[in-house]
Parts: sequence; structure tokens; C-alpha cells
Amino acid sequence: MNEDLNPILIVEDRATDIDLTKRAFAKRHLLNPIQVARDGEEALAYMDRWRAGEPLPVFILLDLRLPKISGLEVLRELKKHSTYSRIPVIVLTTSAEDHDVEEAYKLGCNSYILKPVEFNKFIEVASQIEVYWCALNTTPTT
Amino acid sequence: MPRGLLQLVFIIMVNGFICATTTSAQTPRESKKVLILFAHEAQQSAQIIAEQAIRSTLIKGTPDQLEIYSEYLDAARTPIDSFEKDIVSLLRRKYEDKKLDLILAFNTPALKLVLNNRSVLFPRTPIVFMILEQRNLAELHLGSNVTGIWAESNYRSNLDLALVLQPETKRVVVISGVGQWDNYFRAAVKEDFQPYEGKLEFEYLTGLTVSELQKALSNLPPHTIVSFISSAQDKARNNTGNLEVLRQICPVSNSPVYGATDAQLGLGIVGGRLTSFERLGIVAGEISARILAGEKPEEIPPHGVPGIAMFDSRELRRWGISEQSLPAGSIIRFKDPSIWQLYKWHIAGILALLALQTSLITILLIQRKQRRIAKESLAKLNAELERRIVSRTAALDAKTSELETFAYSVAHDLKAPLRGIDGYSRLLLEDHFTSLNVEGRSFLQTIHSSVEEMSQLIDDLLAYSRLERRDFNPDHIELAPLISRLVAQKNRESIESNVDFVVDVNGSSVVADANGLMQSLGNYIDNAIKFTRKVPRPRIEIGAKEMESTCLLWVKDNGIGFDPKYGDRIFDIFQRLNQPEDYPGTGVGLAIVRKAVERMGGRAWAEGKPMEGATFYLEIPKSNGATLTNE
Repeated sequence: MNEDLNPILIVEDRATDIDLTKRAFAKRHLLNPIQVARDGEEALAYMDRWRAGEPLPVFILLDLRLPKISGLEVLRELKKHSTYSRIPVIVLTTSAEDHDVEEAYKLGCNSYILKPVEFNKFIEVASQIEVYWCALNTTPTT
Repeated sequence: MPRGLLQLVFIIMVNGFICATTTSAQTPRESKKVLILFAHEAQQSAQIIAEQAIRSTLIKGTPDQLEIYSEYLDAARTPIDSFEKDIVSLLRRKYEDKKLDLILAFNTPALKLVLNNRSVLFPRTPIVFMILEQRNLAELHLGSNVTGIWAESNYRSNLDLALVLQPETKRVVVISGVGQWDNYFRAAVKEDFQPYEGKLEFEYLTGLTVSELQKALSNLPPHTIVSFISSAQDKARNNTGNLEVLRQICPVSNSPVYGATDAQLGLGIVGGRLTSFERLGIVAGEISARILAGEKPEEIPPHGVPGIAMFDSRELRRWGISEQSLPAGSIIRFKDPSIWQLYKWHIAGILALLALQTSLITILLIQRKQRRIAKESLAKLNAELERRIVSRTAALDAKTSELETFAYSVAHDLKAPLRGIDGYSRLLLEDHFTSLNVEGRSFLQTIHSSVEEMSQLIDDLLAYSRLERRDFNPDHIELAPLISRLVAQKNRESIESNVDFVVDVNGSSVVADANGLMQSLGNYIDNAIKFTRKVPRPRIEIGAKEMESTCLLWVKDNGIGFDPKYGDRIFDIFQRLNQPEDYPGTGVGLAIVRKAVERMGGRAWAEGKPMEGATFYLEIPKSNGATLTNE
């Protein structure tokens, strides 16, 4: 892990999905440290840590179906904030429901990606995320 | 002769015979012959009343044919003594051949004539008499074969009755004439009134002319009553007649006039206990009928017939005499007919009509009420039904939605472990390749393809379920661009296949849900690609044709086709006709098409033959129930 790189925040309740995501990024040789929030509450708690000076994540991978506080709620809270709203949020979920997609974009998500079942495709997705959000995309500096 | 006609002739003959015998049986009975000998002229009122009563009673009481002869002697005006012989001879010659069965003598002169000449005038013929005074019989010898009746004297009882009705009476004025009969009756009355002398003041106005009577009667003192006896002749020798006298004096009299006979009723007398000629006629008629029927006159002894209390309603009113004070059984004549009597039938008719109308109205009202009750209960029932439908529909909707959510969640959650299985089997294959032998690696490959298959199945189920829940958004869609986009996409997805796509949609357009249409056509094309995979030169034609109210689309392939008997079943969910090893698939694709098309108000079906390709159709209404939304 490279301490100089900003982290990537994965908000996901399933341990296997977290592990597979980490491995997928590892396969793509992504060096950013990975932070994990296991539910909506933990995800929002990161806002306090950022306020305390911890580095902001490069992007957040957000699952929608989360315990305690839903992914859409987390998204809404993040996008309300003047600074943290700039953090790119990539919704990575199994839900292809129209209203989930619509709601997520309405709240300001930057990308909506369906979680593939096949690991190869998962790696592909991870790679594309990495290429786009870590290499191509530019976010305003604070 | 035809048989029917013979029968008719026979019937007529038999009937004729029966008629003839009936008539011949009646002829031997000869009619009874009766002679009524009246003492007075034919127009005498009392006599007319009596004759009518006699005739009608005789006819009623005699079953045989009757021949009634009447003779009027007019003895009061022209005493018959001087030419009695001529009359007898005339009567004898006139009725000798008739063989009279009965002679009825009305009043004393007539009776006297027959009795005095009995030997000449039909000695064997029975005689029934009807006279006014019993005492007249004293000077006659009735002999055998004679019976009859007389009127009982009423003068006294008449006065008694008058005094009951007018108890304050102090004075009685008695009117009589000076003719032979007048004198006779006056004498009888005087005798009858004897017991009242001293108690009442009697004044006898005898032989006064009509004008004198009028003058006298109009100046009578109070508490006077008038008793009219008879006035056949006045002292001026006027034979005015009782009835005419009464007709002229009664209206001017200032006191009530009591009469003697029912013939006088109606001329102005109050009434009284009157000699009833009608009653006398009836009784005489009855006796005559009995004798004609075979009874001997000796078996019916002569007897008196009492007078009848009879009154003129108008006079009772005039003198203020209440009907209640009259003796029981009194006959009241000339009553003003009551409204009921006058209009009895009108009233009855109107009442009947009213009753009919009322019952009709009642029936209608009852019917209306019944109808209203039925309507109300029907409305209530409908409302209740409506309410139940609404509540059940709501419950059903809730259940359906719950079930859909459940199915969706299950499908979703099934994917997560699947991801784990594939992920780790893939990691095993990649990261631990060397530790695995060939068989182990092939197992992992099988795990991978199983996951792929299951993932596809879940995706299809989600799509099917999503179709159910997604709102239907009709839109105007040009088919050509939509299909070329689809074809491009499918070409991209299946690069290895070399399908020859032929698209000709003639610029058709439809009003449909774009997602649904896209998915349906996509699934048809997927299907066609799949089943042409093993054909040397796969070819897929996509066409459309606008019909009157629908648009027909088809996807035709030259693939393996199918047995037409399964044409409908292939649209059922999870329905497959081939081995999954040969043609992998979930069996959901065509079910999705059918559901999507049905939601658009259209239909989906397929035609095909084994090894001869298949054509899959979609028929979509041009403008279906769902209106086009202009957004």
C-alpha cells in the first residue's frame, strides 16, 4: 500500500464482495489503500474522520442495500455537504431497478454500475473504474 | 245421398215429431173464463185500482190460460132497476156460450144483479163478491156457490188514528154530499162517531158545493180536523165526484183532511186508516184463483178486509205530523225520493269506479313500493359487493406486490452468493493453477459455466418480474431505426455467428412501450440467432406490415423450427423444446415477449415446422387503450 495515495472507500456489507473487490483491484495493481464501511452508519462516520484531517478518498464505491442506513441515504448526506459532495461516488449494486437508478442519479451519483456475477467481468469493471476515476478524471482540489 | 245429409234429415224429423207431440199435449186444456161485473163506470178511480189488482193477482195465481171479461154497470149514476131485465138478457146472450168458470161481482149493485137473476145468469158458476159494506149483505140471499169479502168499516178507527196524530184536536168537520150513497155513508159515520159526541165538537157540512166548501175550509178555527166521507152529489145536483171535490178543496183547507180510501191518497188528504181498493182487489183475486184451482166457495167463508193506515208524505210535512208517530206498518206514499233513490245507480256506479280506481292505485302503490324496496336492496347489495371487490382487490394487490417484491429480493440476493462462487473458483483457477490437476481445472470450468447459467436465469427472472411492475409508457415509435439499432447490437453480441439479417419494415410505426417492444423484438432475434446457429447459411428476416388497426411484426428464421403442436407452449415460462446442452436457454425469453406484448394490448404467437424454420409474430394495436402521452 502506498501511504501517499488517497484511499478508496468501499461501502459494502457483504464480506465476500469486499474481498472480491479488493482482489479485483489488486489484480489491476491498484495501490491506493482501501477503506471499508460495513453499513450506512459507518459510511457517514467517515465524514467526522475527514473533518478531523484524514485524507478524502479518491472515490467511494457505494452499495445501495445496506444495513441501518441505506446507500441512497448515505449518498444524499454526502451530496448535501459542500466539500464532500465533490468526492466521486460510484454506485456498485445488484439492483437494476429503474427507480434506484433514477434516484441515485437524482441525488448526484457519478456512475451507476451493476455488480457482475462473473469474476472476470468484475475485474474488468474494477479496471475501468480505476482507469477512469483514478487516471482520467479530474476533481476540483480543495 | 251423402251420409251427413241423411243424418241431418233424421235429426230434423225427430225434432219435428217431438215438437208436434208437445203441442198436442197442451191443446186439450181449455182456458178459464172469468167475468168481472163492476158496479161503476169503467173510469171510476177506486174501481180501476181494484180491477188492476184483481187481474194481476188472478193471472199470477192461475197456471191455466185466462180469459177475463169486464162489464161496467155504471149503477151509481144510472140506477139499473128499471132496465135490469134488459141487462140480464144482454149478459146472458153475451156469455151463454162462454161457459164461464167464475163471476166476480164488484160492489153491491153488481152482486145484487147476479144474485137476483141467479137462475138465468149461469146458476152453476161460482160467484166471488167484493163489497164495501158488510151490512149490505143483510138484504141479499147469497145462496150456494158464493163467497166474497167486504171492506171493514174504518170511520171510527180513522178518527182514533187522527186523534193520536193530532191529540189537541177539538173540532171535527165532516164533509158529505146529498146523493143516495152520500146519505147512506153519512148515516153510517154518524153512528160510528156517536161515542165521541160531547168530547169533540162535530160539524157536518152536507151537500155544499165545491166553492162553498173551499170558503168554509179556508176559515176553520184552530185545532180542527176535516173528515171527508163522500160527496158524489151536492145540493145543486152537481155530480162532481169525490176525487175532484177533494182535488179542489184540500189545497185551500187550513186544517188537515182525513179521507176514506186509497183512491183519494195523493189528492191532498193526509191519509188515515183507509179502505184499500188495491188490497181488496188482491184478496178477491186470490180467492178467485183458489176457486178456479178447484176449491169450493163454501170452503172459503165470506170475511171482512181491514183498512190500511196510509199517508201522503207531503201532507204529513204540511201539517207537521212526524212519521215516527204513525202506527207501525203504515204505508207512506209520495215520499220525495231521496238523493240515494234518485241517483242510486249513478252513486253505485261512481262508488264502484272509485273502488276500482282505489284498488288499482293501491296495487300500483304496492308495486311501486315493492319495486323501490327491491331497487334499494339491489343498490345496497351492489354497494356491498363493490366495497368487497375494492377491499379484496386491495388485499390482492398488496399480496401481489408483496409477492413480486419477494421474488425480486430473492432473485437479487441469489446473485450475491453466486458472485462468491464464481469469484473464488476463478481465483482458485488463477492463483492456484499449479496445485490443480487437469480434472480439478475442468471442475472449476464447470462451476463457472453453471454460475453463468444461473446468473442468466436470475437476470431473465428479474426482467420478467420487472416487466410486471414497470409502468407502461406508450410512445410513438418508428420501427426502422429501432430495428436497425437492435440488429447492430445483436451483431455485436454474437460476432461468431454469421447471420444474414434482412430488414424490411416499410416505414411502419406503432404506439407502444419502447422498452417492452425493444425487449420483445430483442428476445425474438436472440431466439432466431440461437436456433440458426447450426444451420449452414443462417438468415433472419425482420418485417412489419400495417393492418387496419394493428401493426404486425415478424421475425422469420431458417433455423431448426419446431413441431407446430408446441406452437403455443413455447411462450410459457420455463418451457423448452430442446436439450440445454444443444441450445442453452432459460425458457424465460418468449414468456417475457408474451407478457410485454399483452401489456401493450397485443398478442404474440409463432408458426413453424421441424427443420423448416420458424416465424415469430407480434401484433400491436396502432393506438391502443393507453393514450399517447406528449411529454
